[in-house]
Amino acid sequence: MTFTLPGRRPDSGLGNLGSSPGDPARNVDWTLLVVQYALTVIGCFIIYSASRTRIDSDPYAFVTRQVVFAIVASVVMVFVMSVDYEWLKERARFLYGATLVLLALLVMVGLVTGQDRITFDLGPFNLQPAELAKFTTLLVLAAYLADERSDEVSYPRFVGGLLLVGAPTVLVIMQPDLGSASVLIAMAMGVLLVAGAKPKYIALISALSLVTVGAAFVGRFVNQYQIERLRVFLDQETTNPQLQDAVYQVRNSVRAVGTGGVWGQGWLQGPLTNGRDIPVMWADFPFAAVAEQFGLVGGAALLGLFGVALARIWRIAHLSRDLLGTYLCAGVFTMLLWQVFQNVGMTLGIMPVTGLPMPFISYGGSSLITYFAMFGLVQSVHMRRMR
Amino acid sequence: MAADKRATRLGVLALVGLVLLSLIGVRLWFLQTVQADELQERVTASKTRTVQLVPERGRIFDADGRVLADSERVLTVAVDYQLLRRKANRDEIFRRLSGWIDVPVEDMEARYQSGRYSPFLPMPLKEDVTEEVAAAILERSEDFPGVEILTESRRVYPYAPHAAHVIGYMGAITAEQEDDYRAQGYLSNERVGQFGVELAFEELLHGEWGRRVYEVDAANRPVRLLEEIPPISGYDIQLTIDLDMQQYVEQALETSLYDRRQQLAPNPEVEKPDGTRERMDPAQPEQVPFKAPAGSAVMMNYDTAEVVAMASYPTFDNRWFEAGLSGDKFKEIFPVTDDPDQSILVNRAAQGRYNLGSTFKPFVAYAALETGLLGPNDYHLDQGTYRMTTVDQDRCDAGLVRCVYKNAICSGTGRPCTYGYVNVNDALAVSSDTYFYRIGEEIFAANQGAPVLQDMVKLFGFGADTGIDLPYEFDGTVPDRELKKRYAELGIITEGEGRGYYSGDNVQLAIGQGLLSATPLQLANGYAAIANQGFLYRPQLVKAVFEPGVPDSDRIGFADLSQARVHQSFDRPELIRQIPFEPEIRLPIVAGLRRVTAPGGGQGLNSSLTGNYHRPTGENLFYDYPASAIPLAGKTGTAQGAGNYPWNDSSAFAAFSIDESRPYVMSAYLEKSGYGSQAAAPVVKCSFLAMSGLAPMDPVVPSDPLDLSSSEAAPDQRLADTSCFASRGGTGLGAAE
Repeated sequence: MTFTLPGRRPDSGLGNLGSSPGDPARNVDWTLLVVQYALTVIGCFIIYSASRTRIDSDPYAFVTRQVVFAIVASVVMVFVMSVDYEWLKERARFLYGATLVLLALLVMVGLVTGQDRITFDLGPFNLQPAELAKFTTLLVLAAYLADERSDEVSYPRFVGGLLLVGAPTVLVIMQPDLGSASVLIAMAMGVLLVAGAKPKYIALISALSLVTVGAAFVGRFVNQYQIERLRVFLDQETTNPQLQDAVYQVRNSVRAVGTGGVWGQGWLQGPLTNGRDIPVMWADFPFAAVAEQFGLVGGAALLGLFGVALARIWRIAHLSRDLLGTYLCAGVFTMLLWQVFQNVGMTLGIMPVTGLPMPFISYGGSSLITYFAMFGLVQSVHMRRMR
Repeated sequence: MAADKRATRLGVLALVGLVLLSLIGVRLWFLQTVQADELQERVTASKTRTVQLVPERGRIFDADGRVLADSERVLTVAVDYQLLRRKANRDEIFRRLSGWIDVPVEDMEARYQSGRYSPFLPMPLKEDVTEEVAAAILERSEDFPGVEILTESRRVYPYAPHAAHVIGYMGAITAEQEDDYRAQGYLSNERVGQFGVELAFEELLHGEWGRRVYEVDAANRPVRLLEEIPPISGYDIQLTIDLDMQQYVEQALETSLYDRRQQLAPNPEVEKPDGTRERMDPAQPEQVPFKAPAGSAVMMNYDTAEVVAMASYPTFDNRWFEAGLSGDKFKEIFPVTDDPDQSILVNRAAQGRYNLGSTFKPFVAYAALETGLLGPNDYHLDQGTYRMTTVDQDRCDAGLVRCVYKNAICSGTGRPCTYGYVNVNDALAVSSDTYFYRIGEEIFAANQGAPVLQDMVKLFGFGADTGIDLPYEFDGTVPDRELKKRYAELGIITEGEGRGYYSGDNVQLAIGQGLLSATPLQLANGYAAIANQGFLYRPQLVKAVFEPGVPDSDRIGFADLSQARVHQSFDRPELIRQIPFEPEIRLPIVAGLRRVTAPGGGQGLNSSLTGNYHRPTGENLFYDYPASAIPLAGKTGTAQGAGNYPWNDSSAFAAFSIDESRPYVMSAYLEKSGYGSQAAAPVVKCSFLAMSGLAPMDPVVPSDPLDLSSSEAAPDQRLADTSCFASRGGTGLGAAE
């Protein structure tokens, strides 16, 4: 394993023996990196605009923390980029096991205290094991499937993959965090699809996940508010007084988007963004702030940036010299796609409200670090494609 | 080949990505272009509903900071009116609530049917529930759909009924007032001051409304709070009233009236025109009890024009107006009556329309001296009767004009008193009527009928309201040509009487009779101008207006005025006019008045005609008046009532301190109670003794809770110690003169 800083110009002089076309440091996907940081910077601005009126003492409280998270996340990403993903693959089982332990611990703490637990409170930082699970489950699933050097996924291996994904998913559902569980399921479907699962397998996963979610509802594993959000999604004009908070959250979010129009109200000019109409807007509904302030133009541009990122990841999946790299990229691709779709969809009123953050844009350290790590993984694949 | 298949599968993934991104792209486009206008409209012009927040009313204090009027929080159980429209709903809600709020279902139904309540506001079902009941209902809100607990405030009068006429009371906005109050921003269900200071200072006491503006959706449900402006409480007002003195004056007034009701007035035999003799009123027995139904008294400081006490009887407890009485109960307590003797809700001190009788004489004396008609040492020979000199004798003999006027009957002789030679000092001391009859006639003749006497007495405030801060003050009347004409048009006097103003009218005016009318407040204020050498002030009822929120004092029932921030102070009284009042004119008048109330006796007059000693009218009553008490100069008055029957005589008295370090003036007027010295003078005497610290005063204590089962407007209150009523030759209370 060699590592040199990726800022270096290629072939900058004779005698530069460490440098060769195959040197990973020379093969960073700069487009993806620029897009990623552009999204992060935009996210900081959006967080500021959506949260500055909410805390009277310090309008910069959230954005300051987000900048710190971004720095920490960058360090994590540089580490992931610098190591060979094969090296990570060898440690995938260990990481996966640790994740399962953390998740199980969280569920047990939750059972003992009688409260729903999604995070470990670590003082300045709340660790969300579900975010960690996205990374490690992807790693272990890709590694497991890549071991079978075949075009098709055999049935036993499919079942094995299912179990690998199922274990953390069930634990996440029990937290209960249906949003994160849906990301895990989407990731599994994406990876399995690319790995060559038969359509009927995919159908089976869909059916299984539906049954699991259904069972969670029946078994009262989900929160009252999650039930409410689903009911609101199914009947957006409901007059049930208990559902009014949830109704207005969505309604105000849609109104904010409509208010933006084509050109937007302008930076810091959005009446609903400035108001207190949309609870936790900086984490759950940042896209409403984008759409209100920057309109269709801004919203489309942001979606375009995500489109570019997705395209680059898809391209790297294609370029990967091995199956593991392809699968990893496919997993990151699906997760990013699903999460953007889910978050923007709920902002626009076409998806039920879950607590899923918008990657890079939403406030939140766990999510940001996870995505930086996963993008680091994708870069790692790209950097080592020539090897 | 494997790579191809993988590319195909990756292609599927890319396709899924494209589809999902397109989906949200289209949705975004749809919302931001097609639906944008509609959604935007809902933001900018979203419907709002404003809820007015009623401020807390300012408090009213007495001069020492006693809290005379306060507001307390009352919890009211109310139900969404819309919900009650359906009979089935209504029955169910009433049935469930009935036990909790202890109101029978039928009563609630009757309330609903009464139509008194706005369909846009929650309908109150039970006022003044306890915190426990309110909490219990709120905890079970799912059992009581549409039921709300409203927080309202209610006026409390901790010392009621003291000073009830001054403080006044609150009431609902009446139909006549509605437009006016609406224009000022009042809510239709607000209560406003309807009498007394509560009415006069409504604007200051009320405070500023706050408001909550809600954004509402299409179904009028509140979506969010857009704006909240808290209400600003009303200003607190400090009155000049001293409640200790107020209570004493009220008690003295009521004690005297009660006493007079036990007394009898003679119904003497008189000679009829046909020569037979029979009783004045044949329908009545030999002696007729005094009715003594009503009276009033005012005490002021004549330097500052501050009203120290102002009592009116019959009085009432102003808490009745906050008790939520039914109409029937209200009529029982405050009967609708045409008999002015019985009206309760009238402040007789400022609204009474009274003949002043002899208490008016000092002002007539002033007119004579000031115009130079008489000098202070000019003597008039009082022969007991006065025959007018300027009227054609034939007209007198023909009975067309009344030309002969008599003094009051002297008890010793049974004939009109004959005082002999009297100057202005003597005439006031013994109350010689003929001296003033003569002034009345001569001042009229000397000025060719011009209203000079009227103009002179008007300098002292007669015929115009004093401008005190109380509603419905009576202007008073000083008779002249215009007044008679107006009264004739109104049918108060006959058309013949209204044709002109004659010297006979002026003769009547000179002794305070005829069409002269004034309030006890005007009388006191006029005497104040004599006392303070000619400064006629607007009487002050308010000492200061404080910024909202004067804190309570450690002393129960008091506010801590030392912590009050003054909004407006009334240190200096408002001067209405300065009356020219040279000492050579003023001193003889004051000297005459002083003789009326001088202690020890012997200040009277030996008639130069008969040699009889004539006592000043206050001699017996003030015989034992202590030297250390506030020294007084005063004048009694007896105003004749219907039929000139003795039992219809109203008793008047006014007096002022001649000690300028204790500058107080007081008047009292007791209807149908006898001579001035019998009923009104004792009230004034006792009050000055109390003011001097020489008569025991009951401590003022917060009142007991209102007895809702009672049907009295106010309970009796009388002096515990009536020794101040004592007079020489009598036994105090009940002594006739």
